[in-house]
Amino acid sequence: MPFLKDIKKYKSLSIVGLEKNTGKTECLNYVLSRLRDSHKQIALTSIGIDGENRDQVTQTHKPEIELSEGMMFVTSEIHYAKRRLFSEVVDVSNQTTSLGRLVTAKAIHPGKVMLSGPANNTEIIRLIADLKTKGVDLTIVDGALSRKSLGSPAVTEAMILATGAALSANIPQLVFKTQYVYDLIQLPEIESDLKTKLRGIENGIWAIDEEGEIKDTGIASVMMIKNRKDQLFQYGTDFFVSGAITDQFLDFLKNQKQVSEIKLITRDFTRVFANPETYYAFVKRGGRIQVLDKTNLLAITINPVSPDGYKLNSEELQLALESKLQVPVYDVKKIVGADAVS
Amino acid sequence: MQFRKAISEIKGLQYLAEELDLKSPMGKRFLMDTDMFCSEAELNIEYGLLDQIIQAVKADQRVISDIQSKQSHLREIRGSVDNLKSNLVLDDVELFEIKSFAMNCHGVLNLQKELKQVVIELPNLSGLIEILDPQNTGIPSFYIYDDYSLELAEARKELRVAKSTNGDSDIKLEDLFCKAQEIESKVREEICTKIRSFASDLEIAIKKLAHLDLLIAKAMQAIQLNFNRPELVKESTSYIGMFHPMVKHELEKQNKQYQAIDIELQKSVCLITGANMAGKTVVLKTLTLCQYLCQFGFFVPATSAQISLVDQVLLSVGDEQSELSGLSSFASEMMNVSKMVEESKKHSNVLILVDELARTTNPVEGLAIVNAVADIFYQNNIRSVITTHYSGLNSYFRKLRVKGLDKDLGDKIITQKNINSYMDYSLVEDNTGEVPHEALRIASLLGISKEIVEGAQNQLNKKASKEEIL
Repeated sequence: MPFLKDIKKYKSLSIVGLEKNTGKTECLNYVLSRLRDSHKQIALTSIGIDGENRDQVTQTHKPEIELSEGMMFVTSEIHYAKRRLFSEVVDVSNQTTSLGRLVTAKAIHPGKVMLSGPANNTEIIRLIADLKTKGVDLTIVDGALSRKSLGSPAVTEAMILATGAALSANIPQLVFKTQYVYDLIQLPEIESDLKTKLRGIENGIWAIDEEGEIKDTGIASVMMIKNRKDQLFQYGTDFFVSGAITDQFLDFLKNQKQVSEIKLITRDFTRVFANPETYYAFVKRGGRIQVLDKTNLLAITINPVSPDGYKLNSEELQLALESKLQVPVYDVKKIVGADAVS
Repeated sequence: MQFRKAISEIKGLQYLAEELDLKSPMGKRFLMDTDMFCSEAELNIEYGLLDQIIQAVKADQRVISDIQSKQSHLREIRGSVDNLKSNLVLDDVELFEIKSFAMNCHGVLNLQKELKQVVIELPNLSGLIEILDPQNTGIPSFYIYDDYSLELAEARKELRVAKSTNGDSDIKLEDLFCKAQEIESKVREEICTKIRSFASDLEIAIKKLAHLDLLIAKAMQAIQLNFNRPELVKESTSYIGMFHPMVKHELEKQNKQYQAIDIELQKSVCLITGANMAGKTVVLKTLTLCQYLCQFGFFVPATSAQISLVDQVLLSVGDEQSELSGLSSFASEMMNVSKMVEESKKHSNVLILVDELARTTNPVEGLAIVNAVADIFYQNNIRSVITTHYSGLNSYFRKLRVKGLDKDLGDKIITQKNINSYMDYSLVEDNTGEVPHEALRIASLLGISKEIVEGAQNQLNKKASKEEIL
């Protein structure tokens, strides 16, 4: 599988499911199985608490993550205590998460473990850097796209996206929704000077004036935009939005006369929560969005089976996606089968 | 008084505590829990240790930074040690922490041998490390090693074989895993029993390492900020070249000079007078800070110092939050001063510092209050300082006046920005009891609205001419 060659170039990789049951865990296990013989030190973690709970809700089959011997992993104390393998404690973090401190460990025997990791971007970045010093070549982050989570998989260098019938049982619809995320992932990154200035900003909407100075618009969040319209354009049309870019906000901007000059900067693609229709209308009228952190999309994996049992034609879906998106598309289950045969 | 409480009251102390480069969580806690030293002998021992570290840093900083690096890897293991003491079985994470702590402690112990003299005697934990590092790797990571039990090694081997052959059912594998896990639990219990005897040594090590961490941080700060060891005396407290580190730092940021001052406090009352902007309050705050620093085992911000230890420092700066208790600022100040008077009547060994006593009431009664309170301190031989603006102080009180602005400035233009460089902050003995009347001059220099300054001057002129007529 070609994307595995690409993986080796990167120090960190996230695997992100567009919806529950889009085959993220299968994708992860597949990647791990392929890396098993690469002699690379792999570490595995997750952003916040992984999907374990939501699969208890849908009651569908959820394969646990299978670690092989020698692989490192990071999980919370509570999940560490529940591990189904023998492993060596390598380190314990000083920071606590809602599930206790984070334990870095190395598998002595192959086995299964539940993952939970740092909940925000700074901590994820720090963890990846820390693992590097512990001799880890590649950190794989089990990611999620969630508006609730402060942590975003976009901080990793590379990403694999898992999509499938769970997102939509209609191929054109599924392609449209996947393409939207694909387009967001391709949003251009801003220059690094501005990046360091903006990274520390925690909340509010900030304007960047012609001299590149960052000015507080005094608007605390995009939710307040209705009452503070007059304040928005006082320093120009370039903005850094520290929180989410909502549908309401983009909808408001697309109707302004300045729309073609507007440039929005957001942390990363996961902070855009607008409907695709609104986003495309904004872009069509000349509005632009840029990001602080851009990741490289390596591949898209598909799961043609939806949790309620509906099954799409795998080849047809793969073809439809590949013709629209400039990225390889794979059905992991099929290649796992093919690998077994070969 | 605990350090924790003192920093909540003294800003300058909080500033220095935050600047302290403590490496370990226990070091921070140790500092917060420190009680004021009230015994000269104990404080001198502490100062001796601090001196040793400063010498060591000056001789060879590498060893000290190596110790600090070990300290920065220390974790809070109090909870695990408590669990150990109360016969609980620790989990792998706790055992890992104890192992890593013991190894770091051992590292510090060895590093100290490279110093001229061991500063803090640490318990030897090599027996503990031996148990937790059966393969003698010297690496802090931990699990229940196969080396602990043949039975465990066998069970794990069986599981491994079963897994790799892939032939066995999941149920069989689960069975094998559970069996191995059970043996592991048994082994873990045995290890905990074995290491239980080290619990008290671990407790001692936590305290000692914390103390060492704090000593090193204090030594580094003393070197960096030019703090010096005070001589502990019974009579007059006196400072040469005393400065306030936070104010000095602030001024340096603005490219301004801090003028250090000399002061001596006898076992009696001392009134500090001087114009506005003359730094009376800073003197008072620096005296407070130095006394606390000294009694919490720090060196002090002065070229040289002789300090007499007290049991309590009583401070009134008149900015207490009193709105909530429904007291006016005058009322809350008076309540505070009343407590001071109580203490002084008991002839307690205290240092009392009052900033601008009775400033919020009318000058006639204000002056009376100042004289009355100062008299009580005077008669009881209480080491105390009161700053004031009032003229007409009793002549037998000792008075120090801030020199203030030069009378003759020529054509120099003084503004709010440069007033600092024309002000002479040194203190002189003053027997007149008169206080300089420079408020209007300073106000106009500060660029305060002319209407105020001129209006006030007119009032003064009218009053003066009336007096002349009379």
